[in-house]
Amino acid sequence: MGKRKQVLLGSLGTALLGAVLVGCGSGPTGSGTEEPSAQTGSAEQIVLAIAGESEEGYDPTLGWGRYGSPLFQSTLLKRDADLNIINDLATDYRVSEDGLTWTVTIRDDAVFSDGEPLTASDVAYTFNQAAESGGLTDVTVLEEAVSIDDTTLELRLNEPQSTFVNRLITLGIVPEHAHGPDYARTPIGSGPYQMVQWDEGQQLIVETNPNYYGEAPGIDRLVFLFVEEDAAFAAAKAGEAQVVSVPQALAVQTIEGMTLYDVTSVDNRGLMFPYVPASGETTSDGDPIGNDVTADPAIRQAVNYAVDRQALVDGVLEGYGSVAYGPVSGLAWEEPSAAIEDAQPEQAQEILAAGGWTDSNGDGVLEKDGLTAEFTILYPASDSTRQALALTTAEMLKPIGIQANVEGKSWDEIEPAMHSNVVVFGWGSHDQTEMYNLYYSQAAQGDFYNAGYYANQAIDETLDLAMGAPSEAEAIAFWKAAQWDGDTGFTAKGDAAWAWLVNLDHTYFVSDCLNIGQPQVEPHGHGWPITANIAGWEWTCN
Amino acid sequence: MQLRPIVTFTAQKLLRLGLLLLAVAIFTFVLLSLSPIDPVQAYIGADMMRISPEQQQLIAERWGLDQPMAVRFWDWLGQLLQGNWGTSMVFNQPVGEVIAKRFWVSVQMLAIAWLLSGVLGLGLGILSGALAGSWIDRVIRLYAYTLASSPTFWAALLLLIVFSVSLRVTPICCAAPPGVLAGDVTIWQHLHHLLLPAITLSIIGIANITLHTRQKLIDVLHSDYILFARAQGEPLWGLIRHHGFRNLILPALTLQFASLSELFGGSVLVEQVFAYPGLGEATVQAALRSDIPLLVGIVFFSALFVYTGNTIADLAYPIVDPRIRLGGSQS
Repeated sequence: MGKRKQVLLGSLGTALLGAVLVGCGSGPTGSGTEEPSAQTGSAEQIVLAIAGESEEGYDPTLGWGRYGSPLFQSTLLKRDADLNIINDLATDYRVSEDGLTWTVTIRDDAVFSDGEPLTASDVAYTFNQAAESGGLTDVTVLEEAVSIDDTTLELRLNEPQSTFVNRLITLGIVPEHAHGPDYARTPIGSGPYQMVQWDEGQQLIVETNPNYYGEAPGIDRLVFLFVEEDAAFAAAKAGEAQVVSVPQALAVQTIEGMTLYDVTSVDNRGLMFPYVPASGETTSDGDPIGNDVTADPAIRQAVNYAVDRQALVDGVLEGYGSVAYGPVSGLAWEEPSAAIEDAQPEQAQEILAAGGWTDSNGDGVLEKDGLTAEFTILYPASDSTRQALALTTAEMLKPIGIQANVEGKSWDEIEPAMHSNVVVFGWGSHDQTEMYNLYYSQAAQGDFYNAGYYANQAIDETLDLAMGAPSEAEAIAFWKAAQWDGDTGFTAKGDAAWAWLVNLDHTYFVSDCLNIGQPQVEPHGHGWPITANIAGWEWTCN
Repeated sequence: MQLRPIVTFTAQKLLRLGLLLLAVAIFTFVLLSLSPIDPVQAYIGADMMRISPEQQQLIAERWGLDQPMAVRFWDWLGQLLQGNWGTSMVFNQPVGEVIAKRFWVSVQMLAIAWLLSGVLGLGLGILSGALAGSWIDRVIRLYAYTLASSPTFWAALLLLIVFSVSLRVTPICCAAPPGVLAGDVTIWQHLHHLLLPAITLSIIGIANITLHTRQKLIDVLHSDYILFARAQGEPLWGLIRHHGFRNLILPALTLQFASLSELFGGSVLVEQVFAYPGLGEATVQAALRSDIPLLVGIVFFSALFVYTGNTIADLAYPIVDPRIRLGGSQS
């Protein structure tokens, strides 16, 4: 013990002594002058506190870069501020008549940050690798990717899939020669930035990639701080961060020298209804399917018409949000005519009366054939926004005679109950695959896909046409028709399979000196998506 | 003659350690496998609608989750015997590397907290015991009871609000200042970021050691030999130095080493509050995402850590008190 204690104390003493010496030595020259420049923004460096750390590293074949900018890598295609598809690495792409072969030509001047040229075989390698790597990017439809020559490659699919274009948009190209188990922590790519240092759990420091083929980024060095929202806000107040994502509750505050960016998103919240009656059927896990009350279209439509969505935006989201009538608000494939005039309890009551619902016993809740108009709305108990949405919606349904009981539970309790109860879900993506999986009847397999077991053959056919179309442009007409084609649709005017409520705005404080251009309509996930156009950001002060 | 008890002692300790680790491994593995959190779903999160069942299958295969639990456990045990701790699902990196990297960040904080709580706890305990009943004793007891009954994370938040947000004397987060390259971080900056988490963590141990030391000292001061010493004219501080301290040091040492486990547990909460990327933070991530290899690895490691601490305490007894012998029996 005696010896041990000495060693311990001794090493502590050395450490302290060392600290004093280093402190004295670097005091006047080092830390004294360096610290301010490290803490305030400039064209040389900005600090961002927008979360988004990828714990498993920065390997696109495992899903890195599916939101916002992949930073280190570049993609074949990308979406501009209006979400139009434009070329990035690709100079052109064609889809064969049968939709099975995608031929892509790429630019010949792209170079990886280690100086090696980027060729079609790197692209083919990336896609083949992603198809089998078991990460967060789903390329399972790919049969194989084959490079034809240095700048041409073919992506051969198992079946036509118009949404495959989203893989070309999000999958960053990795170098075949430098891709291995260590790649995720030492990424090399052809993107605008390259990694300098990653302190896991703390910060990521990146600098411009001198070999980038595009226009050089406006900011030389980016520091991403991975801290909680409160700490991020505090950092912004102290002037230590120039871009900070904040929850809506903090957006009402002001920070000197910073502007609030209130970015529209498709980060939606809505009520998912069990679509079929409870027939005793269960999922493969034995969870009950169906709900007799919500299986009645009158109930689902009445809820859609009775809810005052603008009041939810103003009351629950402090005004930082927009109303949602479908799952794809603000995107090019949203059907505008699917929107309804909501906040109309009278119309909701008419729908209910026409559906045979009356208050026969005078208790304020409607009945029909011995069935009471009552259901439970489940929400994840940790999410206060969803709680407020559920409670406020339940209040709005009371006057029309629908009794909604609100219960907060953990996800593992919600999952077994989500096929037989109303659930507050939130989705939102630039990839139409999501809409397909929310409403396609065959997708319902006792999982999150089509959790309400919605089934309409006409909608299935339309969705299949959209998925099988050779290009996104041609698919859009079908995606819109599935929402509402004047006759049928899964939105409120048609089957009202869901009651979509709101989209959350994503709120950021951005330094007055920083021009971040026009942000895209952001997908689910508040934070990293704002980096989508980060290479074009500019520092406007001196 | 001296060698045999040491050999017996070592053999017993090693056997117990082996059994302990095996039990810990089995329990962690089984409990986590029964946990309702599906690691694949936890990994996919909000991307659920865009990951097809085929892709989910690929993810499960990548982590070996398509195998039954017993198979996975034997695989894991076999690999462990070859020195391979497995691969963390959250960090996509060998568990050994994750633990080594994270523990290196935590260990400095733990060491400072441990020393602080030991020294302060003992000092306050002696002061309070010696002056039992005085206002100093009352203040110290109030302080100790308050600390003992306040949750760590609450104390951490409070300190963060006072020192980092209001007074701005300590940094808000992290183990280093933002934007500074690892090579350029000075030791001052390092200590600056380390200080508040370490102090918060030391609070856990202080109250416990203070109250125990105080009680022990009061007991000692009421014994007959103290009465005798007092009658001989020995002053209070002399009594404490010559009689009190010797009797105190043994229980204090036990407590101090036993507090290692609490310290380890406390670091989980403290690191979370201060966004300090140590082993505690990794533990939370591993648990929230059902990362079995990493969590089992951490539990394994912490069991080893605490066990070592207690063994050191056992070894220290005979040095502190020559009346105690290893292996017992010898008189």
